Amino acid sequence: MLVLMATEFGTQSRLLTVYQFTYRPMILFVRLVYSVLTQVFSRLCLLGMLSAIASGTSLFGQVNISGKPGLLYVPTATLLADGTFHAGYSYNPVNYAFRFNPALNPKLTTRNSESIFFVNLVMLPRLELNINLLRPNGPVQYGARGIGDRQIDVKYGVMTETTRRPSVALILSIPFGIDNSLVTNAVVATKHVSLSSVIELELTAGYASPYFLERSDTRNDQNSTLFSGFVFQDKRDKAAYYLAGPIAGIKASLSRKGGLMAEWDSQHLNLGGYVTLFNHWTVQAGVLNFDQLTVGTSYAFSLLPTKQTARHDKAQ
Amino acid sequence: MTKRSKRWYYLLLLVTVRLANAQHAPDRIIDALENRTVDSVQHRVVYEQRLYRNPMTAMRAISRSSIANAGTTLVPLVQGVPIAQYRLSPAFSTRLLTRQDRIAYADAVPFSRRAYKLDFRLQPEFTANFGNRDRSVQSKTNILLQSQVYIRRGLVLNWGIVFPIVNDLDNQALNVRPAPIFLNQFLAINRADFMSISAGLFYTDRYGLNVQYRHADLNSPWSYGLETSLTGFYFFPKDGFYYQSPTDLMLLADLAYRIGRHNVTLKVSGGQYLFNDRGGRIDFIRQFPNVEVGFFATKTGNGSTAGFNFAIPIPPGRIAQTQRVRLRSTEEFRWEYNYSRGYNIGSRYKVGYQLDALLRQYHNSYLKSQQY
Repeated sequence: MLVLMATEFGTQSRLLTVYQFTYRPMILFVRLVYSVLTQVFSRLCLLGMLSAIASGTSLFGQVNISGKPGLLYVPTATLLADGTFHAGYSYNPVNYAFRFNPALNPKLTTRNSESIFFVNLVMLPRLELNINLLRPNGPVQYGARGIGDRQIDVKYGVMTETTRRPSVALILSIPFGIDNSLVTNAVVATKHVSLSSVIELELTAGYASPYFLERSDTRNDQNSTLFSGFVFQDKRDKAAYYLAGPIAGIKASLSRKGGLMAEWDSQHLNLGGYVTLFNHWTVQAGVLNFDQLTVGTSYAFSLLPTKQTARHDKAQ
Repeated sequence: MTKRSKRWYYLLLLVTVRLANAQHAPDRIIDALENRTVDSVQHRVVYEQRLYRNPMTAMRAISRSSIANAGTTLVPLVQGVPIAQYRLSPAFSTRLLTRQDRIAYADAVPFSRRAYKLDFRLQPEFTANFGNRDRSVQSKTNILLQSQVYIRRGLVLNWGIVFPIVNDLDNQALNVRPAPIFLNQFLAINRADFMSISAGLFYTDRYGLNVQYRHADLNSPWSYGLETSLTGFYFFPKDGFYYQSPTDLMLLADLAYRIGRHNVTLKVSGGQYLFNDRGGRIDFIRQFPNVEVGFFATKTGNGSTAGFNFAIPIPPGRIAQTQRVRLRSTEEFRWEYNYSRGYNIGSRYKVGYQLDALLRQYHNSYLKSQQY
């Protein structure tokens, strides 16, 4: 734990002051910087952040376009440690827009690329909640303006991964939304295979349902009853869609600090790569259907101190 | 630089280093604790807990310092009122305080205003509507400079100043104005019964009287509470004070159950909210060490909604302090998001603290789970 480390450093730097009358500017300067830094660090630790750096393990994975552990579009069944929090952004190119294309919604007059903002939290050891917001980039007509499409998704780990079996997860989009653009109703299985001490493969396969519920007949300004107005929908009725049918993906990682990935999102073959910097910050990019680029970034940290995370995970 | 001035320069540098060192946890935390009594006969440390959202921060610091030994018990105070008695080692345990214990403490340590610093905290305030076509985020964002005057045991006057930053939510001008000013009396009646009574000008433009009662055995998963208030609307226009008569009755009851291992609280509440809106609400709350995250669903006569809320401390904590005065960022920023806004669905206002949120921070299982 870094909190512990910080206090230990504190004692060390205090011991150093025994040499306080040796007037060596370098030592003093280092000492000053050191104590200020340790102070800053211990404050950060009080917020529960950065706690994983000291543990040396990368608890945090890379996430898909809506912020769920995954590849580019495809979510995986990788179960993150309890208390893991991600926040991030991804860019979805214009040819693969989830919503802002007149072919998808005849009321629209413009084609736009999209920005997706997301947060993802492991609320309980097997339960993840994902909140995402999809907004068009660039101008849209007056009637299509607003905060964006808000969506909440739930992921439940039905089965945890062992040496023999994969983890299995059920992912559902909560049907309260009026415009759920990133609907993910899927069952996925994921298995990690170590090829060497540094190279690891993550194999994912699953099925995404084309069917979903949403309250699409409700108007935003009349949105005062959340539990009514549900409409049964089929993604395949639209001109373009994703995650409707069998999905699969493979990711090859180097010490989980970076890697390459390929996926079948039920419609297209997408290729990409990612890098995790300073254990917390992930940057990723990919080519959709050998056509357009998507990019994304996320920052992850744990809301639990590392030791507690370990204990909670054992209790699973 | 002459040799002499160099010497002074280094000395100055050393002093800075020393100051920085002195601020290290846990000494730094212990120095900041107010109304601290170390009872070396009974091996007990009593202290005011108001700087940290998470009571464990101070508990851990004390238990690792020289003022504590293996058997020391800790009694955190809220507004000068003892909550319960905690023992960190050999195993974490919580002992509820009887009425006799409380009287004995009050006799031994008479209340003293001098035991408290003049404490100022910066509290951000953010109210927003999302989804307007012309402006997708309409917000009312303020910074509040707040302070508390400890009047007698349990009784505190909350006051402050609002510095408005943005307001495109309503037509209130950006005038610097008084922040909510209200009296709050915190009471511990006996082992597990607590009350919070507030009177004055509250947050979100409501004023009046608010009474909360809670039965919370800090060793038991069950707790229940009642809250009632009679309030009216007020606000500070550019010059003057506008208010309506306080006739709005709110009456709410709740029952909460803790699932200990992951610090999850399930809470069912219901009754009459503001504006005669009757209905109920279900909350799922997870307490992480420094952060609280919750999800909820509400159904009332005015409609139904769901959303999430969170409570986080705002860094950096202490900004500056002297012997008597302190400036810090707030220990808790609480925010709630409703998916469908509707028209006043189960709406309520904010007083200083909610008794249930305060007491669950002192629950045995929550603090015990942070021991490692």
